[in-house]
Amino acid sequence: MTLLRQCDADALSRVVLILWLAGQIVLSFGCHSTQSRSYPSKPIRLIVQTVPGGLSDAVSRVMASQLELQLGVPVVCENRPGAAGAVAFLYVVRQRPDGYLLGHGPVEIAMVQALGLAQVGPKDMDLLCLVSMSDPVLAVHSASSWKTFNALVESARTRPGYYIIGNSGTGSIWHINALLLEEATRTQFVHCPFGGSAAAITALLGRHVDAVVAGAGEVAPYVQAGSLRALAVFSAQRSPVLPDVPAVRELGWDFGTPAWSGFYAPKGLPDPVRSRLVGAFKKAFESEAFQRLCRERGMRAVFLGPDEFRVFVDGQTQFFESAIPRLITRAWAVQ
Amino acid sequence: MSSELTAALTQLLEARIVGFLTAGVGLGMLFGALPGLTATMGIALLVPLTFWLPTDQGLAMLLGIYCGAIPAGGIPAILLNVPGTPASIAATWDGYALSQKGRADLALKINVFASLFGQLLGVLFLALAAFPIASLALRMGPAEYFGLGVFGLSLMAGVSGKRVWEGVLAGTLGLALATVGLDPLTAYPRFTFGLPELLDGVAFIPVMIGLFGLGEVLAAISAGVTPFGATTHRSADAPALQRCVGPVLGSSLLGSLIGVFVGAVPAAGGDIAAIIAWDQSRRLSPNREEFGQGSTRGLAAACAAANAVIGGAMTTMMTLGIPGDAPSAVLIGALLIHGVQPGPLMFRDHRTLVWTIVLLLALAALVTASVGLLGSAPLARLARVPAPYLWMAVVLLSITGAYALNNSLTDVWLMFIAGLAGFVLRKLEVPLGPLVLGLILGPMIESNLRRALVLSRGDWSTIFARPLVLVFLVAAAAALFGPVAALRRTQHNRPAALSR
Repeated sequence: MTLLRQCDADALSRVVLILWLAGQIVLSFGCHSTQSRSYPSKPIRLIVQTVPGGLSDAVSRVMASQLELQLGVPVVCENRPGAAGAVAFLYVVRQRPDGYLLGHGPVEIAMVQALGLAQVGPKDMDLLCLVSMSDPVLAVHSASSWKTFNALVESARTRPGYYIIGNSGTGSIWHINALLLEEATRTQFVHCPFGGSAAAITALLGRHVDAVVAGAGEVAPYVQAGSLRALAVFSAQRSPVLPDVPAVRELGWDFGTPAWSGFYAPKGLPDPVRSRLVGAFKKAFESEAFQRLCRERGMRAVFLGPDEFRVFVDGQTQFFESAIPRLITRAWAVQ
Repeated sequence: MSSELTAALTQLLEARIVGFLTAGVGLGMLFGALPGLTATMGIALLVPLTFWLPTDQGLAMLLGIYCGAIPAGGIPAILLNVPGTPASIAATWDGYALSQKGRADLALKINVFASLFGQLLGVLFLALAAFPIASLALRMGPAEYFGLGVFGLSLMAGVSGKRVWEGVLAGTLGLALATVGLDPLTAYPRFTFGLPELLDGVAFIPVMIGLFGLGEVLAAISAGVTPFGATTHRSADAPALQRCVGPVLGSSLLGSLIGVFVGAVPAAGGDIAAIIAWDQSRRLSPNREEFGQGSTRGLAAACAAANAVIGGAMTTMMTLGIPGDAPSAVLIGALLIHGVQPGPLMFRDHRTLVWTIVLLLALAALVTASVGLLGSAPLARLARVPAPYLWMAVVLLSITGAYALNNSLTDVWLMFIAGLAGFVLRKLEVPLGPLVLGLILGPMIESNLRRALVLSRGDWSTIFARPLVLVFLVAAAAALFGPVAALRRTQHNRPAALSR
């Protein structure tokens, strides 16, 4: 009886060992062949530079779920927040460019170096595509006496350094836009940074600040509810989510720079992998799920492929490298 | 209002919600009953799991943990003299004394009933008073938040046990740590040593996990403390229960009111509420000398206050968007993940969700009480797992908990450093609560004071001329000096378990 059990155990362990070895051989062979022939063959990680819940996270998660359908492998979002995204950018550019690790690239990839937060930028990245843009909007309380953008500029000119504009944080894209407004209209405001656009908007609702510069999608719900009034979109064209609000270009001004969402990989991606990824991103961009997200969150759905995205990002990087030091110096000189 | 209430009620009738709520309560009770695992930790660890759940189901689970953990924390406090969560520190004074007299069953039942009373009263407050507070909340600007922050800080500094000066020292250390990171107004890096990971400051959750989880284990190992049980159980008979109904109800009401108030104060949590309630109940009691010797009143006041904090903290969180205590700080993060920004606008944009939370809290309180009555004895046995296994689990959970928050190894190192610091501070008998409080409230006080100064164009006088700011600052002064005086008076009456 004991002997029999011993035999059984031996036989069993041998069978398990052989099966395991066979499995290993098949797996390694399979992996090898699929890796050279077809990408992707294993899950892809997508690094998001914010905490879960924000716009970047929503864009990444919707894109990831659509990419899964296109690529046939899981695409897993991983949040690595910190330092306006620099923690995530630094992490991604140091990984192997094998196409199994991608990053969500917001406007901050063109800003963090100029802001002095970290030595990382688009030159360290293999840019894949841009998928959406968010326009800056200037909003005031609905009980405010300012009915038009030009009326606000007039008031600001008569009382320089008096009116207060809230923003989502010093050095944020909306703060930069408020500084661009000052520069273009030759006005002076007091800038009050809050911890995110939601806090700034709450302060405007309580009339602790006179105006707020924030994303069109962030302001739109309050404009539609009638508690805020949007005066202008800092862009050449109107925002689809606020069709009645004039663009500053119509009013005779030319300033403003949008926030955007794109995707990138560590530098040195093999060409076949890049084209496979860009194709999948294009399909995911066209999906109803992503288009609906853009409508709901007040973003403009815009697709730029790797080459156009590179040209766009290089232009943005140059712009921020000259604009950020100039605007910040000006702001300090005024104070 | 009624249509939203109906909508919320209909949602709750779904089996999945009740299922996730019960699962949350069970997990919460486990976390609460195991010393070193806190309600905050339980919520923080479970938040990532709820990413894949719809908002209401995820919330059901997280609120279940919150409501389950606090009453369960009283179980090891009563049976082993080891508080399961910080909120159950005050429950050890009379609870352990009762169980040493062989009245463990009675003590556990008082814990269940007082906890249920506290939670339900807190929820009632949330349901009835949150709306007026929400409409007032929009009028609160940076200056008022600054005042609130100072008030929160003063309460904690006052209630550092016997070691008031060490508490002030720890609080200052926390405030100093809070200066690390980008300057909130100029975005200039402070004390970051060129590390991008430090630009957002010292993350308080890894620090808290290190201080209370790893630090506690290191201290226990060095002291050679072994959790022990084997208390003789004598079941509470009907006459014994009847005799203490009156005193328990009175103390529960007093404790609950204090708990709701302290809970509504940002970042002053169940531990302080229970201590203050225990003290107030002692002062009002006809037989003071019973307190600390196994008073049913003292135990009821402590348990009710620790649990009423939930309703108070949720009110602050949902109306003002700021945490009323540590677990609700983690809950804010969880709500953000589900696309809900806690704050005044929640009552306008997510009214059904507000009612869902109210009803979930009430349901969780009832489920917790039923589970507590049925299963307090088996759960109590869990707290008697051999110490090395328990320590091992706490260390592993500390590491995974610190990493999981931001997928950051930096946070794990931060947790280890905080664990070592917690061990050293424990050895020096420095209270740890004020340190975490300084770390949490420091940025709130600093950024809001400076924002208020931007808005007043650098004029200090207009800040202090605001009536609400004055109220908070006066209350802060009272809170700072009141408990100090009270603690001095009561020092002689307390058992040694108090020093923490």
